[in-house]
Amino acid sequence: MPQPVCRGTRAGRARIARALAGCAAALVLMPAALAQEITVPHRVAAGAGVSIQTSGSGAATLYLVGPGTAIKRGIRLGTPAEVSGADLRNAGRYKVMVRAGGEAHTANFFVVPGAAQSISFLARPSRVPVAARDAISGVAFVFDNFQNLTTAPASVTFNLAIADGPSITRKTESHEGIAWTRLDSARKAGAAQFVASVPGVEVRRVVQQVASDPCELRFHIKPGKSGIEAETDPIRDCSGNAVPDGTIVTFTENDGRTRSTVDARIKRGVAQAQLPAAPGATITVASGVVAGNEVRVGGEP
Amino acid sequence: MKILSRVLLSLAACFGLGMAGVAAPSDSAPGASAPAIALDVSQAAPRQVEDSTVRAITRDYGRAWQALAAALGQNRADLLPEGFVGVARQKLSERIAEQQRSGLVTRVIDHGHRLQAVFYSPEGSAMELRDTARYEIQLVDGGSVVSTETVTASYAVLMTVTDDRWKVRVLQETE
Repeated sequence: MPQPVCRGTRAGRARIARALAGCAAALVLMPAALAQEITVPHRVAAGAGVSIQTSGSGAATLYLVGPGTAIKRGIRLGTPAEVSGADLRNAGRYKVMVRAGGEAHTANFFVVPGAAQSISFLARPSRVPVAARDAISGVAFVFDNFQNLTTAPASVTFNLAIADGPSITRKTESHEGIAWTRLDSARKAGAAQFVASVPGVEVRRVVQQVASDPCELRFHIKPGKSGIEAETDPIRDCSGNAVPDGTIVTFTENDGRTRSTVDARIKRGVAQAQLPAAPGATITVASGVVAGNEVRVGGEP
Repeated sequence: MKILSRVLLSLAACFGLGMAGVAAPSDSAPGASAPAIALDVSQAAPRQVEDSTVRAITRDYGRAWQALAAALGQNRADLLPEGFVGVARQKLSERIAEQQRSGLVTRVIDHGHRLQAVFYSPEGSAMELRDTARYEIQLVDGGSVVSTETVTASYAVLMTVTDDRWKVRVLQETE
């Protein structure tokens, strides 16, 4: 008759050890009874739910980690585990792991971006001189409904228009979520509407087109209360747009010994300055890179 | 008794009770050192990338991944503004909030990035890059590592200038 295994003899302890080792082996093999497989689709559209199929039986823990998601919850093996679209909004790789009985199985799938539904639009600069070549740039970043960069090509239209002037339209395709264009500014000053659009969505920016550098900058002088008054003709750019008030115009008087400089701002289309009365002095005018005429005090302009 | 205790220890190990075979997370902050970044700008268009911008992108993208590793490893969304803005920051914050709810932590051990600039905006304020990143990622549940994986992943990255720094606006893994 075999000895009861609980007896504390040397032989009994050996039997206990063998029995426990056998139990351990059986327990190690036990997960085979719960053998699981995870089945997930390879690709899922952003915002669409997914059903994770598992095989086997019993309780398990499901982990789902991905961009914006880190879920842990209990599931029953053999029963589909549903993951809602709200948990799969963000494009990227998701890892599913099911752990049961000390055993873990993993699977990966990708959530792919949906169709273009929104645009992030960079329009530069916000203020630009008229009639400048390639002076305006527009860059559109194309996103789906869930702020995923839409990597599939999307048709993007750029339109630059100014009131009472012709508009410019450029159609292009986004590449890896980006579409861009470069446009000339119009010849007419004013607030231009710069629009980037994909079907059903448009984003608007305003580009202020301002007069360019003065064209044919001219001034005249007359005696003033305490010297000479210098005043320009109405200042316009070469397209006929009035150079904006506030633009600096510099008058310089040089009599050979002393030099006087006055920076005046354009006000109501003209710039004025008071200069010392220095007979024989030469007065010049300039604005930015543009130089105007020259007048000699006491001489002919 | 020795054999008995050994067997019990082995059984305990079989069930993952915190002994051999389970790497416990260390106390050191994951991703604390700057990852290696190699940036290729030869394909960038329409604007050529300036040398100073190459240096800035390399530095700031590395900082962003350091911030990402620290934020996911400590469940601290407040570390993200160091390198992320906009959508990228929002999505990483959501991930951290979910990790907190689920009692999870993600450890990222960064092995480096090969970056290729594919778009540099005409006015120089936005850049799109492709990143081939290599890292080890561990999912930690209640102090135990439940998953370790070495990953080579491709990302679409959009960086923009914010507060005189380049920050990641989009970080999206691609197939």
